[in-house]
Amino acid sequence: MSRNKDFREFYESSLKPDLEIIDRERRKVNTRIITIIAFTAVAISLEIILIPSEAEMLKGIIPFLTGFAGLVVTGVASKDYRKEYKNKIIARISGFLDEKLIYTPGGSVSFQDFLKSAIFSLRCDQFKGEDHFRGKIGKTDIEFSEVSAKHKNTSHNGSNQKDEYITIFKGLFIIADFNKHFKTHTLVLPDTAEKLFGKFGQTLQSVGTGKKKLVRLENPEFEKEFCVYGEDQVESRYILTPSLMERILAYRKKWDSRISLSFCDSKVYIAINMNKNLFETRLFKPLADYDFIEENLRFLILITEIVEDLNLNTRIWTKD
Amino acid sequence: MIYLLVLVAFLALISLILYNSLIRKKNDVENAFASVDVMLKKRYDLIPALVDAVKGYMNYEKDLLKEITELRARALSDNLTGEERVKIENKIRKNLADILVAVENYPDLKANQNFLKLQGAINETEEQLAASRRAFNAAVTVFNNAVEVFPSNVMASLMKYERKTLFDIPESEKVKPDISPLSLKRLIE
Repeated sequence: MSRNKDFREFYESSLKPDLEIIDRERRKVNTRIITIIAFTAVAISLEIILIPSEAEMLKGIIPFLTGFAGLVVTGVASKDYRKEYKNKIIARISGFLDEKLIYTPGGSVSFQDFLKSAIFSLRCDQFKGEDHFRGKIGKTDIEFSEVSAKHKNTSHNGSNQKDEYITIFKGLFIIADFNKHFKTHTLVLPDTAEKLFGKFGQTLQSVGTGKKKLVRLENPEFEKEFCVYGEDQVESRYILTPSLMERILAYRKKWDSRISLSFCDSKVYIAINMNKNLFETRLFKPLADYDFIEENLRFLILITEIVEDLNLNTRIWTKD
Repeated sequence: MIYLLVLVAFLALISLILYNSLIRKKNDVENAFASVDVMLKKRYDLIPALVDAVKGYMNYEKDLLKEITELRARALSDNLTGEERVKIENKIRKNLADILVAVENYPDLKANQNFLKLQGAINETEEQLAASRRAFNAAVTVFNNAVEVFPSNVMASLMKYERKTLFDIPESEKVKPDISPLSLKRLIE
């Protein structure tokens, strides 16, 4: 593949020199962190030995605080070279793939957009995102970022109030312009009920959510993987053509992960569950490693291929 | 005595539920058919505009244009059986597709903005028509299941409900798309 060859050249000529500089910084941070860890460990042991056992509270708190301080210092120490890596390396990989793709390391898809997709029914109380990309692929506007959304669950035990955060979603959130106009909202969710309970699951699904009613589609494989809710039976099918259903199935297989889609305001919102944190540095291995760097490009290709895979550039309808 | 009353009340309740659910399913089918009808009317409205737009350019496809105009007129006439109507609709769809393919031979026409808009509208109507046809088939499948499955079939036969026919989905709508084979598994390996 010529793109691979080109990227090898680009890596050698453009990325490697910078990576080597960042690597020097990484090694420094590495030593610093090992020192901090060693220091914290010694401090904690001393505290455990020296603080008299009567002062039980202190015995618990002080080593904990020392450990916490150690972690904060470690975080601060590694911040600079991580920033450098993202600004210099990831931004240029994104530019290599597509000049029009703009990368903002600290940016995110907006909370409003996340809510608008209505993919997740639990209330979202904590929303964080990073590694935001925005651009135009062919005729299709696209943006995506990593997102972590949590729900706060408050439980009361007597007079004690306990807050617990439950992860609603962690992974990639993609928003792309859809190639057709539509007015109503259609949700394509992973089908947990049907997989677990078969026919009975189908009955469970038919309850629907709010204004949206279950849309039964004729592709059995699609029906097994996904459960579709829509406000308008015809419009949901106008969006989910037989060909698009096949395309969504194939895209899900590519990722081998839970994928949910929401079609709303003539856009498609895609949430891909993922535990891996993308576009990050590493501490204990060199960064100037072709395979490690190329993996970022491959992820970007896989994400942006959604435009091709869902055929979003085909504009044979009235939407330009 | 009381048991008998309870049994009668229970049977009456079941019948009522079955009756209502069958009526609802029949209405869903009618509703879905109405949306197919709306889309068909939209298609009829577009045909004269298409013929007007292309007739100045197309010299070799005069027959095609004449045929589609005639088909439209026949489709709009009232005295058609369901079967005949489906046949005419199928012909119209094929004819429309042929005209849009023939356009490829006329670069001037392809560059004409008005024509491009019209082509977009036709594609959209055809896609919406396909969607409403599929929605109709889904509603009919639910209805047919209710008519044939016990115990609702007993109520259905009392109400003289019979199986309804599905629309044929053209082969061209069943084509599987090609998708590039790069996968996450390969990426992680």
